[in-house]
Amino acid sequence: MNENENNFESLKRLLAFKKREIPPPGYFNNFSSQVLLRIRAGEAREPVTAAERLFSEAPWLLKFLQVFEAKPAYTGSFALALCLVLVFGIVFAERPDYSASQPLVTTQVADNSTPLVSVSPASPISPAVGQIMLAPDNTNPASSLQPVASLFGQQDSLAQQASFTIPSN
Amino acid sequence: MIMAESIERTETESPAPEEESELVRRARKGDLQAYDDLVKRYQERIYATIYHMTSNHEDANDLAQESFIKAFQALKSFKGGSTFYTWIYRIAVNKTINFLKQRKNRTHMSLNDIDFNAEHDTDLIALISDNTPRRAAGLTELQKKLNEALLKLSEPHRLVVVLHDVQGQSHEEIAEVMNCNIGTVRSRLFYARQQMQAELADYLK
Repeated sequence: MNENENNFESLKRLLAFKKREIPPPGYFNNFSSQVLLRIRAGEAREPVTAAERLFSEAPWLLKFLQVFEAKPAYTGSFALALCLVLVFGIVFAERPDYSASQPLVTTQVADNSTPLVSVSPASPISPAVGQIMLAPDNTNPASSLQPVASLFGQQDSLAQQASFTIPSN
Repeated sequence: MIMAESIERTETESPAPEEESELVRRARKGDLQAYDDLVKRYQERIYATIYHMTSNHEDANDLAQESFIKAFQALKSFKGGSTFYTWIYRIAVNKTINFLKQRKNRTHMSLNDIDFNAEHDTDLIALISDNTPRRAAGLTELQKKLNEALLKLSEPHRLVVVLHDVQGQSHEEIAEVMNCNIGTVRSRLFYARQQMQAELADYLK
């Protein structure tokens, strides 16, 4: 035990030699000014980059990336896992599923000859109101007079000319 | 200026707590002059610790500067639970360990010059001439061997040796900086010394 302690004493004396290693002469004269210069340069750099803002708001993300930097094997594993997910995604996306065998609902809607708006002659709605309902988003007074369905080439099936009778009081 | 002397000087001239807290308070408000004073107080110790951890002057320079810059940017989060010195030491140590993990297996030593007075250090000369079979081994070779042996230690073990046997910090201070208990510091120090002893057996006979 004593011999061990003596050896440690020798080691400590040897390690004290490290204190004798000194940086270049005058090194510390400019150190603080260089630090302040870099701080000022950092403050002048506006705005903060998106990456810096992201890392400051989500420090876990930075730690996550640092793990990859420290252990390149993790990077490979993570990339492999991502590739597998991508491949499985593509394979499963190309598989036919049951919904494809059923007729599309949109086709049925397109074939339906029911007019979008039907205004019965007995309806108390005024013609102006009917036109607005036909093209609610259209602000052009000239085009608003056209039936909306004509845009799709189904003028006859989607809109019909109607005659209105204004009820007399 | 000899680093050993400069460390002693900064330790003997260590500021009163009030003065340091006042500097920190001003620096938190963006007073760069106050921060300049804080940097000047601790630059040598921070640099020395990082240098002994990396065995590379250029890396130590970059890391020491970045540590002080990061500390300035994070001053608002400094609650005063520990001294500013311990707090900035933690920043520097964490930054250095992260750096060392990234540069693993890409070790490149860039050693500082040896103080001229080392040649007149009787203890050191005796250690080399009496205990070394290769008596012609110069100080430069010893420096290289010493740094190589340190670099073979894991980062936590190297840090304990550097802080305790080179920088002269107590177990309690090291435990606070490394955020672990004193028992861990002691066991790491013992294991690291054993490993160093095996590596430097030629110089310790």
